[in-house]
Amino acid sequence: MLSPSVDNLVAQLTRLPGIGTRTAQRLAFHLLRVPKDEALALAAAIVEVKERVRFCRECGNLTEEEVCAICLDARRDHSVICVVEQPADLLSLERTAEFRGLYHVLGGSLSPLDGVEPEHLRIDELLARVERNGVQEVVLATNPNMTGEATASYLADRLRGRVRVTRLASGLPVGGDLEYADEITLGRALAGRREM
Amino acid sequence: MGTQGFSPRTRNDAQLIRFGADAARVQLDGHRYQVPMQIRVDLSTGRGKRASVNGAPLRGAEQLRSEVATLVFTPDRLSVVKGGPIVRRAYFDRALGRLSPARAALPSEYTAAVSQRNAALRRVAAGFSSRDAVEPWTAQIVALGAELVAARREALARLAPPFAERAGELGLPEAELRYTGEPPSREALEARLERDLERGVTSLGPHLDDIAISAGARDLRSFGSQGEQRLAVLALLLAEAELIAERSGAAPLLLLDDVLSELDPARREILARHVVQLGQTLVTATDASFLPGEPAQLIEIRDGKVV
Repeated sequence: MLSPSVDNLVAQLTRLPGIGTRTAQRLAFHLLRVPKDEALALAAAIVEVKERVRFCRECGNLTEEEVCAICLDARRDHSVICVVEQPADLLSLERTAEFRGLYHVLGGSLSPLDGVEPEHLRIDELLARVERNGVQEVVLATNPNMTGEATASYLADRLRGRVRVTRLASGLPVGGDLEYADEITLGRALAGRREM
Repeated sequence: MGTQGFSPRTRNDAQLIRFGADAARVQLDGHRYQVPMQIRVDLSTGRGKRASVNGAPLRGAEQLRSEVATLVFTPDRLSVVKGGPIVRRAYFDRALGRLSPARAALPSEYTAAVSQRNAALRRVAAGFSSRDAVEPWTAQIVALGAELVAARREALARLAPPFAERAGELGLPEAELRYTGEPPSREALEARLERDLERGVTSLGPHLDDIAISAGARDLRSFGSQGEQRLAVLALLLAEAELIAERSGAAPLLLLDDVLSELDPARREILARHVVQLGQTLVTATDASFLPGEPAQLIEIRDGKVV
């Protein structure tokens, strides 16, 4: 029991992913200690992000406009769409500077245990985009885990016959040592080996 | 604990610490491929469990399992033969993981897919979502189910010949391992959809399959004597130990707890002969006279103390 407003702040922070009660308390005490401006800057940033940022009408990426900068960029290849689960995955792919097509952010992966089903993801929007815009290829870049794989195979079934569907390869991390690879990743890499 | 990262007796590590103390250490000094090796596992009530090999800390104690192969026999292992299918599936899935480590995660992945499909079934039945929602998980059950059935059959095909041979020597002729189950097909799953929706569970797939352990035409689960069941478990253990030794070039460590008491002298001898060929084995017995032949080292424990 501290004061009702501190308790409230701790309770609000605890609701953030990955934050337990102790971390929330530490963050709350930190905010109490810093100058007022600094704490209010955080509050203002939260307000701004909630007011200005929305999802791109086309791809579901985060944007402050109706349509995001990637979708508007005429220099990008509009015939290829890369499907990812979250905006953070899009950023990772953008950092490679290798992919010049467009994206589609699903907003998660299928997981009935967490109440996520096809209608909760932006799947119909993806199918509509493929129909509408002369898309040649869809790259499925959902996570290589159970729910990501299920989502990918579901999408592949829906898209097959309409467009070329590809999936990111699974295997060894580049620059790593075989010695440190776990058996499952190495087994997968072995199964997916290619001719040289 | 030292070779698996957990105790075969309990998963509650706090129970392993001596009464009144708040930390414990298990340290093993030995050789692997003639190279000295030291394993250390530290348990403490506050800081959990930490394991290291030759002084290098491991990410988790469960990593020890891939460092030192260990096979354990305890009297309650008889349940592999006489228990329900769930016990056998769990046992053979662990064996599958030991025989082909790359596929060790397959059983748990398949189980996760079943849980997801069951959740989808219940959500549809409750009116939270459309039937469309079950489809992706049916596809996963078909794909992962086929992989799991193939992996289990392959593991059984490798285990069966040495199992039959060892069982025969121990006096259990015509012993067989047979997988009972087929990979789930999409058609079969769809045909059962109505019923599955009603019950909220997936009623077809390798999560319901069984492994028949038989001798002659007799299923040992229902028609085997306690002695025969014990011989079958021992034959399984020896068969797996031989396969691991053949594959990795190093024999697994065998921990045989109270294995001798119900065996007659002739069978004790056969067991001892194989065990000696395999590598290091620790055998516990209530009486030193049960031991066939001379053990390399005899440790007597009285009132909890080494004498």
